[in-house]
Amino acid sequence: MLHKPTRRGLLQGAAGAGLLAALPDGLIRSAFAEDAALNVFGPQPPDPAPPGAAQFAIDLFDKWKADNKASVEYDLVAWPQLHDRMATAFASGSAPWDVVYMSGWVPEFATSLRPFADKLPASLVDDMPPTSFATTTWDGQVYGAVFTLSLLTLFYNTEHLAEAGLDGPPKTWDDLLRYTKELTRDGRSGWVANYGDPAGIGGTASQWMCFLQQAGGKMYGEDGMPVFDSDAGVDAMQMMVDLMDAGTDPGSISYVGINDATNVLLAGRASMQMNWPFMWTAAQDPEQSQIVGKLGGAILPAGPAGSASIDGTDAWTIPNSSKNPEVAQSLIEFYLDPVVQKQQAIDTGWLPIRLSTLADADVQKALPNAKVVLEQASHPYDSFVTPDYNEVTQALGTEVQKALQKAKTPAEAIADASELVTAIVKRRS
Amino acid sequence: MRAFQTYERRRRSAGAAFVAPALAVLALILAYPILDSIWLALQRVTLKAGQVERTWVGAENFHRLFNDETALRAIFNTAYFSIAEVVLVVGIGLGVALLLNNAMGRSGFFRVVLVIPWAIAPVANAVLWKWILNANYGVLNGVLTSLGLIEHNQVWLGTPTMALNVLLLVDVWKSIPFVALLMLAGLQQVPKVLYRAAYMDGAGSFQTFVHITLPSIKTAIAIAVVLQTIWSLRVFDLIFVLTRGGPADATVLLNFLAYRVTFNFLDLGYGAAIANLVFAATFILAIIYIWLLKPRRRVAAS
Repeated sequence: MLHKPTRRGLLQGAAGAGLLAALPDGLIRSAFAEDAALNVFGPQPPDPAPPGAAQFAIDLFDKWKADNKASVEYDLVAWPQLHDRMATAFASGSAPWDVVYMSGWVPEFATSLRPFADKLPASLVDDMPPTSFATTTWDGQVYGAVFTLSLLTLFYNTEHLAEAGLDGPPKTWDDLLRYTKELTRDGRSGWVANYGDPAGIGGTASQWMCFLQQAGGKMYGEDGMPVFDSDAGVDAMQMMVDLMDAGTDPGSISYVGINDATNVLLAGRASMQMNWPFMWTAAQDPEQSQIVGKLGGAILPAGPAGSASIDGTDAWTIPNSSKNPEVAQSLIEFYLDPVVQKQQAIDTGWLPIRLSTLADADVQKALPNAKVVLEQASHPYDSFVTPDYNEVTQALGTEVQKALQKAKTPAEAIADASELVTAIVKRRS
Repeated sequence: MRAFQTYERRRRSAGAAFVAPALAVLALILAYPILDSIWLALQRVTLKAGQVERTWVGAENFHRLFNDETALRAIFNTAYFSIAEVVLVVGIGLGVALLLNNAMGRSGFFRVVLVIPWAIAPVANAVLWKWILNANYGVLNGVLTSLGLIEHNQVWLGTPTMALNVLLLVDVWKSIPFVALLMLAGLQQVPKVLYRAAYMDGAGSFQTFVHITLPSIKTAIAIAVVLQTIWSLRVFDLIFVLTRGGPADATVLLNFLAYRVTFNFLDLGYGAAIANLVFAATFILAIIYIWLLKPRRRVAAS
């Protein structure tokens, strides 16, 4: 029997809904205890996004939700907006998420995060590179789990190298400079980079950090103060300047994101680039690449101290404000499940962090660069993240830009950068 | 007389009661954030344990502002950007308005075309220019090369001076339509009889422009100058999308610096101090704008 909607009925319904909304949170949750509603904050694809946000492992994701009686809502934003959204939410003290993506910001937001990662199962931790937790650890507490092995490696256009009579990728700094000179012809550049944005992971400063480690230097001493005003620091800067002169795409100084530089390589207008693993899949897509089947990968050329890179530090964390931290941890463990990791690699091009999945024959067949990244991981790849990473890389990267534009010598730029970074670190202390 | 005073008092009380809700809303959404921002600028603010921790530092943030090389550069850049933008936008806007006011330019088509740059959403406009200015495959380099005007691709955002001036031109392009329409409205208010009288007196086109047109639209020009100065202080999206303040901080304006310090560095107190500087400049300009709009009594010619 159908009831006619009446004004009284509507008023009673509205009052009931209002009463429900006004109930204390705990009461409501106990009433619906079987449903955990998780909110996940992360980047939009093609940046590394989880199942359900990116199109992979959807069936497994649905099964996990059913098994855990949980619903998952994604709050995804474009990569450049991630940090600022997070900063605003954490500063307001009401971050509405249960799982949050991080990229080098763990030390900055450590006080707003839950140190959950030491509770991860040993079988999972043992299957990850030992350095996986380096960028998610601050003051001895582990706040996150990296979910993709994302190191900068060398990508090159095999056809350009063959045309120039160059046999295999450059292995040393000298090779890199020689290759860049020889490949800069026919209206294209030997090397392309995104030097336009100084700050953040992948910005100008962090690219210099690769060269710094290749030269045998490091950013900070044991006391946390900068020690990069050294021969290694100047050599690294000089290498970038020499590379610019040898034939870096002049537009590199104006490319503010990795995609700007990637597009130049994919258009066949440059021959070599330092890039993240996602590059491989993008280069095989004829809709966005003119170099399908012509991309080669190798570890970064060695400086005086050998090869070295930086870590993209893509990690999942749980904020203190999460109302379901246990389920949130379970979701992170699901993201790190071997089968999910394998599908992540094959379907999106973002490599797994699990060593067993990286060694999987299917993954290596689909992503020939997996071996390269794994080899790169056997060399140093410190990103030197600190709570003031953005401010430090902004100051440092701006000085690198001045050196690249010959407004300062490498030695002057390094000395000035060291002074600025020292002031920032002291202010934090 | 007494009855009138009572009535007047009651009328004012009723008026105040009616205005009070609006004043309360304004105080909540305008006065509170402004006062809190000033209060914030006098403190060191850090994020600890998920909470904002404030420590009173007095004028230290303002002292730091005037001793910070990047901030001083931003002040200089902002001053240059605002002055150059106002001169270019008002000058070109007036020229466009004169063309549109001409018999041949009165077609609605021209006005529709004119409005397009102004109507494009700010971020979309910035992305559009990003593609136009790309150093490797940008439209501008392609067009100039095909016309034989340049031999090699130019890096339009590659050097400090070039990058700042290119941003300026892009913002000028976007700002001209509104100012041109404002000027056009002013031009259409000029009585035709004045032009006829000038013609009868033998005045040439230039004399007519200097002695009739300009004095007649001086209020419109003044309003355009003030509004454009305020808008030039707010430029953000172009810098964020095109240069992120680079190369080497060459395109950092105060507004962008306030954002960077506040949200990227989470230095909320110092960021508020920079924002307050922008607010003070905008507030003074807003007062001038209101003063310009205030009706004036005509002084009878002696």
